[in-house]
Amino acid sequence: MKQDKNKTDLSYLKSGTSFFITITVFVVIVLIATTFLIAAFNTLITNHDKKLSREICNLISEKMNNSIRYMTDSAQNMSSVLSAQDFTSPAEIYEKLIGENSGSYVSVGFIDVNEQIYATEQELMEFEKWNLLSIARLADPVSISAPYRSGTTGQPVFTMFTDFTYNHGTKGWLFVTYPLREIQSIASTQSLKEETEIWLMNAESANIIQCAGENEYSIGSWANAYLAMRDINAEDKPLYDEWRNKMLRGEPSAGLTYHIEDVSYMQVYSDIEYMPDWFVVVRIPSSALSATMSQFQNDVIIFIAVFVLVTLLLFIVIQKRNAEEKDMLEQLSIHDPLTSVMNRRAFDFAAEQRLNRPPKKEACLLFFDVDYFKQVNDRFGHEAGDKILIEFSAALKKHFGQLGIISRYGGDEFVVLIDTASKEKITALLNDLMVDVHNIRPTDDEEKNKGFMLSFSAGAACFPENAESLAKLEQCADSALYIVKERGRNGYEWYQPA
Amino acid sequence: MKKLISVMLCCLFLCLCSCSNEKTSSQLEDTERGQEFEPLTEIQDGRKNIYLIVKSLGNSYWDVVLEGAKAAGEDFDCNVYYGGTYSETDWEYQADLLDTCVKQNADAVLLSPDDSVRLAPKISEIYEKDIPMILIDTIANTDSYNLCYMTDNLIAGRNAAKEMIALLEKRDFEKDDAVNIGIMVGSVASQTINERLAGFFQFWTQNAPESWHIIPDIVSYDGNNGLIEDLANGMLEKHPEINGVYGTNNGPTAGFAKVLKEQGRTDICIVGFDYSNEIAELIASPDYSAATMLQKQFNMSYDGIQSALSLTEGEENKVKFVDTGVVTVTYETLSTPEVQEVILHN
Repeated sequence: MKQDKNKTDLSYLKSGTSFFITITVFVVIVLIATTFLIAAFNTLITNHDKKLSREICNLISEKMNNSIRYMTDSAQNMSSVLSAQDFTSPAEIYEKLIGENSGSYVSVGFIDVNEQIYATEQELMEFEKWNLLSIARLADPVSISAPYRSGTTGQPVFTMFTDFTYNHGTKGWLFVTYPLREIQSIASTQSLKEETEIWLMNAESANIIQCAGENEYSIGSWANAYLAMRDINAEDKPLYDEWRNKMLRGEPSAGLTYHIEDVSYMQVYSDIEYMPDWFVVVRIPSSALSATMSQFQNDVIIFIAVFVLVTLLLFIVIQKRNAEEKDMLEQLSIHDPLTSVMNRRAFDFAAEQRLNRPPKKEACLLFFDVDYFKQVNDRFGHEAGDKILIEFSAALKKHFGQLGIISRYGGDEFVVLIDTASKEKITALLNDLMVDVHNIRPTDDEEKNKGFMLSFSAGAACFPENAESLAKLEQCADSALYIVKERGRNGYEWYQPA
Repeated sequence: MKKLISVMLCCLFLCLCSCSNEKTSSQLEDTERGQEFEPLTEIQDGRKNIYLIVKSLGNSYWDVVLEGAKAAGEDFDCNVYYGGTYSETDWEYQADLLDTCVKQNADAVLLSPDDSVRLAPKISEIYEKDIPMILIDTIANTDSYNLCYMTDNLIAGRNAAKEMIALLEKRDFEKDDAVNIGIMVGSVASQTINERLAGFFQFWTQNAPESWHIIPDIVSYDGNNGLIEDLANGMLEKHPEINGVYGTNNGPTAGFAKVLKEQGRTDICIVGFDYSNEIAELIASPDYSAATMLQKQFNMSYDGIQSALSLTEGEENKVKFVDTGVVTVTYETLSTPEVQEVILHN
């Protein structure tokens, strides 16, 4: 009960900002800051993905080009070796080539100066079917055919031609047919293997043939970009058209980002040496890299969440400790340390708040003096005096604690502000108080206490009937008290205006 | 949050699907999906057993394939069994039929795969059991087969473009005239369709005059036959300047032909595939400029059975892919014996 009363008293003195409001504000600020942080992080990751996707596309297309260059170098080396040897007839050259056919190619052969083709029957059919001789004529020093389906293997292949000289300056062409898969296997990369799509694309016709992709069985599939790219989101189509126009203009490489529904793709092309009008195209969904980064992103989010939680807990602990310290200081600054009722300063502040807080309510102020307190100290000692004050204030709390606020004004003076103006009720309480006070003893020794009876004198005044301010109310109560003292103490009196 | 919404939508979709009365291919009874093996020829003991799996039973094109296999069975003295799917996309049923071939100790298998990519692992599995595997009409994206008899669709597409240019030239279009060609395709996912499209573009860009253009807005009916005529009409309305139309398969070819006939558009050249009544009518009329590419599907199965028997006897094939070729049918070539022979088998 004592503790509750103290809390009631404190409620008049605390500032308006509650702890929970502070926490709420803190949490809202943290949430907003975290949202912005995550959004900024996502933007950063997206931009990073785009930049990195393009770099990867460039690297893969360069690798593809290198693998084609590796094949052309092999073919050129083969022709150099043949050029350095003496042959009696073109047929002998062909026999030499066939005898050494142990590479990764499908077939190899020779075209002499009269454009007679030395090849198998099947290869001769394919020369005619695909007009490969016209490609051979373009070799300077190398030319490469468009991919076609080989009768020998049933799989897509392309044929590479290199010019060379035989029999001391006679011009001819060597041809080597490679499976399309060979480019992919030379250029293959384990990282992002499933996400990376690689095509060869013809600029003029927009035909594409797949060299690598998620499904290995789809390698060698033909398509046409007009149809294959029809699902690009409408707003990205101008970007795609511009990308293709760059290809048609013969620019060596270009990249773009576009969306198909919600998926963002980075796509890069680069030209192929010795294969005019054909380009290596590499496409990667940006999400491929996002997936790689998502673990890191999750880690960051978890870190932020833990950081916020720990900060919040620390904040709550610190706030709680501060509140406890504040409570303690408030107790010390507000209450009289001996009797635990309010000190004068705190009472004046609290009473002013209560009397002036609208709507103004009726109240009564009582001034108490413990009668002959100095004599108690002199006769029984200060310890007994303290006991008297403690028990007197306890009696005040017992009778008036639920109705108002109580203060030790100084020495043996107490003051009570009561939230009622009912004189009958207060008179009754004063009479009860008087009975209790008469039973207070200075010591526990009945012998010493013999003949001792404690009493009090009290003056009462009503607000706003007798006065409309605390100072005047105190003056009125004090003057009523004076009358009681003049009368011989041990009683109370209501203020009577002159 | 997007993921959550996606998951919820997927769940809703799955619930709706499960509540729907429509059956997916896996929900259909096997008898609705396809036909188990039945004899195509007289079955005699002591003969080799060749199993043929086709794409679409009850279809005139595939009836010709069966005729070729039957003729080969009789000519080369072997037992031929046939089975297949009713839908050209039910590759899983075909995979089950391939398993049946193994169980029934097939000496060789002729297969026209419903899906070149997804059926490839199963084809490899059969091939690795040393059962000769002959592909017909459609190749699979694997090396694990012995021989493939089919139209080289890239070449077929090139031939179609060549014929389109020839028809336009006959209509007296000059090199400097503005010419526009519209294209309609079947399933975008079909490798056959894509190759015919790529072949057409390839030949066109290499040989057509610079002012002769293909309209980039390629129309696809994505397997929904009911849309074909509307799409054909829509294309003619949207592009009144159109001078030629190209259909990559039977559906759009027949659809274009029907619409041109209805509108009396003798000014528009048409090139397509297969021999539907609609395209046949236009080809037979001197007023229209029409051509179609006919595949030799009779030869695919006939030659396939012959090669299968050779392989079972230990012979090795020198080639793996045989282009059975196409025959170009026009008003001028219609009555030639070669064309008549192919038409007879269509």
